[in-house]
Amino acid sequence: VGFQKILTLTYVDKLIDDVHKEFRDKYRNEFQQKGTLGLLNGTFDFQDDFMRLLRDAEESSKVRAPTVMKTFEQSLKSQKTVKCMIETRGEKPKEKTKNKKNKGSKKEGTEAVAAPGKASAGDKQPSGVGDREELTKDEILQKNREEFFKRHMKAGEKSSKSPKPEAQKEKGKKPRVWDLGNSNTKVLDYSNSATNGSVEAGPVEEFDPEIALGDRNREPGRLYDLEYESDDEAEEEKVVQNPSKPSAKKGGLGGMFGMLKGLVGSKSLTREDMDPVLEKMKDHLIAKNVAAEIAVQLCESVAKKLEGKVMGTFTTVTSTVKQALQEALVQILQPQRRVDVLRDVMDAQRHRRPYVVTFCGVNGVGKSTNLAKISFWLIENGFSVLIAACDTFRAGAVEQLRTHTRRLNALHPPESHGGRSMVQLYEKGYGKDAAGIAMEAISYARNQGFDVVLVDTAGRMQDNAPLMTALAKLIAVNAPDLVLFVGEALVGNEAVDQLVKFNKALADHSMAQTPRLIDGIVLTKFDTIDDKVGAAISMTYITSKPIVFVGTGQTYCDLRSLNAKAVVAALMKA
Amino acid sequence: GMAGGLEPHLEALRQELRAPGPAVLSVLLALLAVAITFLIWRVVQGRRSSRKAVLLLGLCDAGKTLLFARLLTGKYRDTQTSITDSSAVYRASNDKSTNVTLIDLPGHESLRHQFLERFKAAARAIVFVVDSVAFQREVKDVAEFLYQVLVDSTVLKNAPALLIACNKQDVTMAKSAKLIQQQLEKELNTLRVTRSAAPTSLDGSATGGPAQLGRKGKDFDFSQLPMKVEFVECSARGSKGEEGDADFEGLEKWLAKVA
Repeated sequence: VGFQKILTLTYVDKLIDDVHKEFRDKYRNEFQQKGTLGLLNGTFDFQDDFMRLLRDAEESSKVRAPTVMKTFEQSLKSQKTVKCMIETRGEKPKEKTKNKKNKGSKKEGTEAVAAPGKASAGDKQPSGVGDREELTKDEILQKNREEFFKRHMKAGEKSSKSPKPEAQKEKGKKPRVWDLGNSNTKVLDYSNSATNGSVEAGPVEEFDPEIALGDRNREPGRLYDLEYESDDEAEEEKVVQNPSKPSAKKGGLGGMFGMLKGLVGSKSLTREDMDPVLEKMKDHLIAKNVAAEIAVQLCESVAKKLEGKVMGTFTTVTSTVKQALQEALVQILQPQRRVDVLRDVMDAQRHRRPYVVTFCGVNGVGKSTNLAKISFWLIENGFSVLIAACDTFRAGAVEQLRTHTRRLNALHPPESHGGRSMVQLYEKGYGKDAAGIAMEAISYARNQGFDVVLVDTAGRMQDNAPLMTALAKLIAVNAPDLVLFVGEALVGNEAVDQLVKFNKALADHSMAQTPRLIDGIVLTKFDTIDDKVGAAISMTYITSKPIVFVGTGQTYCDLRSLNAKAVVAALMKA
Repeated sequence: GMAGGLEPHLEALRQELRAPGPAVLSVLLALLAVAITFLIWRVVQGRRSSRKAVLLLGLCDAGKTLLFARLLTGKYRDTQTSITDSSAVYRASNDKSTNVTLIDLPGHESLRHQFLERFKAAARAIVFVVDSVAFQREVKDVAEFLYQVLVDSTVLKNAPALLIACNKQDVTMAKSAKLIQQQLEKELNTLRVTRSAAPTSLDGSATGGPAQLGRKGKDFDFSQLPMKVEFVECSARGSKGEEGDADFEGLEKWLAKVA
């Protein structure tokens, strides 16, 4: 049952409900009178009933036979004349075959209407692609007319868009150009490496103008506008239907009795009672920066849990719902297995291998700053740290880490730790492959006897597929002990998207049976939000992994651990 | 003027109090009755919510539900992973008339905390069930759960008696209670160092709880705890398999002592 989404057994939910009801009704007496002892002592001869219910459920799901494809004679096409199907130039033949396969009769009906529309659209396509600045007024008018047509014939339009890129691909394999990344081939150049990881020598600045400049086809000095491509598919009007809620009936005496009855005595909760309260709670959560879809799901699950529950005396619906929501939130924030970094480092120490932690996240969330804070905390606890500078893209990333190393060594000089420096930086300058640097850093740490390796990676957007592949490769190849996702507390609905895509990228590009996913979350910039702490909920809900550290400032001591009750209290506060 | 208006009223009141009429008497009696009922209700409620529960805690598959069934009915039952608590009144087999409520809590990681929160205040004693066969593998998880139970502020305040029941002794690979005790002490020793060294919590309070587990400076020992801790070996399944009885005299004796 736990894998309902994988197995397409549509009757499982209904089956469980039926079994539940039947079992309860059949053995109602035993439960009510004897309680738990009745459960333990009674014999429940339910096997036959269960098999019967299972058979019924299976049969009900098989009733609908799969729809049979229409033969050619049955379809409308054989009844059309040949003339109306002659394609004008610009029409794609593949579109017709796609429409034939469609079983929906709607498509067949609009096909005749779409055909003349396509003819005009097909002619105008080549001119529309060209440079926008040269359009005359007439052509602008024509383009607008096209778009108006397109919007009204969505069904036919969608199938026409897909054959177009296929036609383009057939012109011979072109390397794909990502609009966010840059296309250069000098990234894997190892010929000029002069540094060897020592602290003193500065990195030989291998300034590759191509990487720095990025866009090859730019005009010097010109500031381009933000390009905005309007997707036709994006303009699907999703009419948000607000179901009109049944208005609360407040009719005089009946209403007052209802209220009194609700206040005292046993009243069981129904969906209608809870709906207004849940709406308010959902808006409250969204106002506190919880992602919208997660707030909706949370309220749904609370409603399901409380449905039919009998309220105690002197408790209102609001208080019951609030308490249930609070319990659910605390349970979300206290995840299954606590990540105890110090304990695991001690274990790794015993096995004489370094404990590797990797930091990943989008740009600008505070990976390097929090890496420095965590290394400070580890040094305070007596572990030696090697920082691997695997951010080879951002300007100043290596220098930033070198400054941190210097400061940390000043705070904890080698003399006070038995003559060995507690922090060291392993870097290979800019432009190199991050996964390779990480591997070298780990073996260096093993040789030199460092306890922990902290790997700093470059920030990357979750949509940037080549960079996500590179990160997944780094993690799959080096197999770190802990993969920490660094996310800022200011993020709103984006948190959901970021985490989902990061996890997906890590899972897709891993060769192993059980892929390494994100193991924990570092929540940064927590001092910038007052009590809008919803990002914590969003992140833990999506990954069900704990928040290991919370960053609350820019100094080394601003590292905290999460207190679930305090966060939930701040969240529920009005 | 005004004083003159009040005087007759005060005089009337004084007269009433000296020789109370039936109306005043009945009002006074009613008030007294309410006060007495209130006091009785308070006392009854206090007694009802006094700590009468014995909690069965432990990791998943430790054998809590089977122990629960055996203690109450003596028969063997096939059990599934519990997802909710079960409670029943248990009468000790000796002559003492007091009875306790046995509460079997789920051991699954996602459920154990919320059920512990709910029932910890009512706990007179805690039985922590340990799977002696899988102990070597699970020692860190067992210690972590035990640590969380021990540093809980309510548990520290009430100091319920603690019994660590090393279950599944019918299997030959089972570890002895002595070994389990030593390993747990070592692991808890490490845990209290790492937990107290963790970054402080968001609102300033330390994550390990204000109370240090055991005495500082010395290695952790179960005798340093404020509550009485005992170790006992038992087997819920019993050496004769499903037909015979369970082997848990030590557990039963301890329960009789605690009740």
